[in-house]
Amino acid sequence: MTFRWSRWSPQLALVPAGLVTLVAFIGAILWTVYLSLTRSRRLPEYEIDWSEWGRQYQRLFNDDAWLISLQNLIVLGLGSALAIVFGFILAAMIDREKRGESIFRTVFLYPLAISLIVTGAAWRWMFNPELGVEHFIHSIGLTWVNASWLARPETAMYGVILASVWQSAGFYMALMLAGLKSINSEIWSAARLDGVGLFRLYTEIIIPMMKFTFVTCAILLSLGVIKAYDVIVAMTNGGPGQSTYVPAYFTIQALSAKGNLGFASAAAVLMLLITAVIFLPLVLLTAWQQRRSGARA
Amino acid sequence: MTDLTVSQKSLGAEVAVRTAPYFPRKKKAITGRSIAVIVFLSVCALFFCVPLYVVITTSFKTMDQIREGAMFALPNVWTLEAWDHAWNTACSGTRCEGLKVGFWNSVYILIPSLALSIGLSIVTGYALALWNVRWAGPFLFVLFICAFVPFQIIMFPLISMTATLKVYGSIWGVAIIHAVLAMPVLTLIFRNYYKDIPQEIMSAAVMDSGSFWKIFFEIILPMSGNILIVVLILQITSIWNDYLIGVTFGGLGGQPMTVNLANLITISTGTVRYNDNMAAALLTAIPPLVIYFFVGKLFVQGITAGAIKG
Repeated sequence: MTFRWSRWSPQLALVPAGLVTLVAFIGAILWTVYLSLTRSRRLPEYEIDWSEWGRQYQRLFNDDAWLISLQNLIVLGLGSALAIVFGFILAAMIDREKRGESIFRTVFLYPLAISLIVTGAAWRWMFNPELGVEHFIHSIGLTWVNASWLARPETAMYGVILASVWQSAGFYMALMLAGLKSINSEIWSAARLDGVGLFRLYTEIIIPMMKFTFVTCAILLSLGVIKAYDVIVAMTNGGPGQSTYVPAYFTIQALSAKGNLGFASAAAVLMLLITAVIFLPLVLLTAWQQRRSGARA
Repeated sequence: MTDLTVSQKSLGAEVAVRTAPYFPRKKKAITGRSIAVIVFLSVCALFFCVPLYVVITTSFKTMDQIREGAMFALPNVWTLEAWDHAWNTACSGTRCEGLKVGFWNSVYILIPSLALSIGLSIVTGYALALWNVRWAGPFLFVLFICAFVPFQIIMFPLISMTATLKVYGSIWGVAIIHAVLAMPVLTLIFRNYYKDIPQEIMSAAVMDSGSFWKIFFEIILPMSGNILIVVLILQITSIWNDYLIGVTFGGLGGQPMTVNLANLITISTGTVRYNDNMAAALLTAIPPLVIYFFVGKLFVQGITAGAIKG
């Protein structure tokens, strides 16, 4: 009896997690996809008019705010990619120059422990037009500098990017540092013996060796960019106007402020599609790595 | 060699190193290049510290001094007034009870949500890693995908479901949703940790007629100290720092601290009290920062283990 019980226990133990996956993830996704085809407004409606099933998507692409969101997504993605570049430079320098490694690591990484709302609050204050950094720069005589980015639609996105880079660069530094440390130390010696210049050493040997670290960072970054929401709320609330809308913000705004369920669902479905496109290389990468480690074992 | 004098000073170390083959890493004198690197790193470090400095000093200033506009100046008079105000009387929306309400909400959210999420995923990870479960492979794959799904695509259905269960708009609603959303990532972390346990240990345990639960409580759980601490840190910081779930599922009574803070800084009527805002931001940031500074190494491990979460 005990034997039989122990055969069934593992399966039974998986039931809660299986139910959560089935209901809260798979079920919920299908539910939202279905809603995106209906005319639901504040309350869900479950009738699909098949002659115009794509009307929510049509409306979406006629909506300026959505197009701005998509544009901003790209801008934010490219801008945040600086965090990877910056993270790599920091990691390379910390790794070469061992002095103060732990202090620098601690300082570069602490923003990651802080909520994006707090990050937003801090940077919002720094960008304050009358009292913030701009006031300081003007007071030392550089009156031509314009540093109150958040106040104007053309530059508000830069402010958001700066804050996100500040918050996340340390994280990419930590990943890169781990990558650098896993490089065989004989490579450094061999390169020095051959008299390879530092720049060539990094661009032609080290970076190609770390390509998987870079790919992982890039994928994590893009997934983070799609989910970017808190930082927008805390820094600009989508403004000035709709200039800092991103898809995540747009979707929640469509649901909570506009109360338009079908419309918000369509936007969410498109977010899922974008995620899937980014996610695909990660799946292939993990499969590849698993096969590689499997072959080694 | 330019660093001859230095290597003579550390002669003992040098001798020990000399036995190593090829190029030993010598104890270097400070070269021009390393000074440049250190200067560069220090400037970067300054950039990372400036916001913290500004936030801290502002929180101790009076509004009169803030209006003068010297953002980087130290407070003329150090005062705790803003901290007191942020904690006790700051307005979040229409209620003016300070951040203390949100602070306790965050604490009350944290406890059940930690218990639920870790309890659920540790058992799932254990079953998937060490027992022959028929659908383990596909199930793991689905979990992997779920870990990346944007919250917006499941948001409305989850609101509906929690409303049906009568937990929407309460601390429990927020806690349950946290547990649900963390389940895929945590399960993968636990599963990856357990899959390295040698099959022999499991075979021996099963031979001793250990049942699923008996093996879990008597062998596996005592072996899980390290990973539990890492997951605990990961979860505490991510639950504490969450905004979106709190604002969506907390209703009016169950909002965590981050939501109070966001209301405080975004809804500005009349003159904005920057010192209050910055004190509030610090109050919200202190718990995760304390964890970070005390167990930094484990924090990094947790974040990179959960890196999969993005």
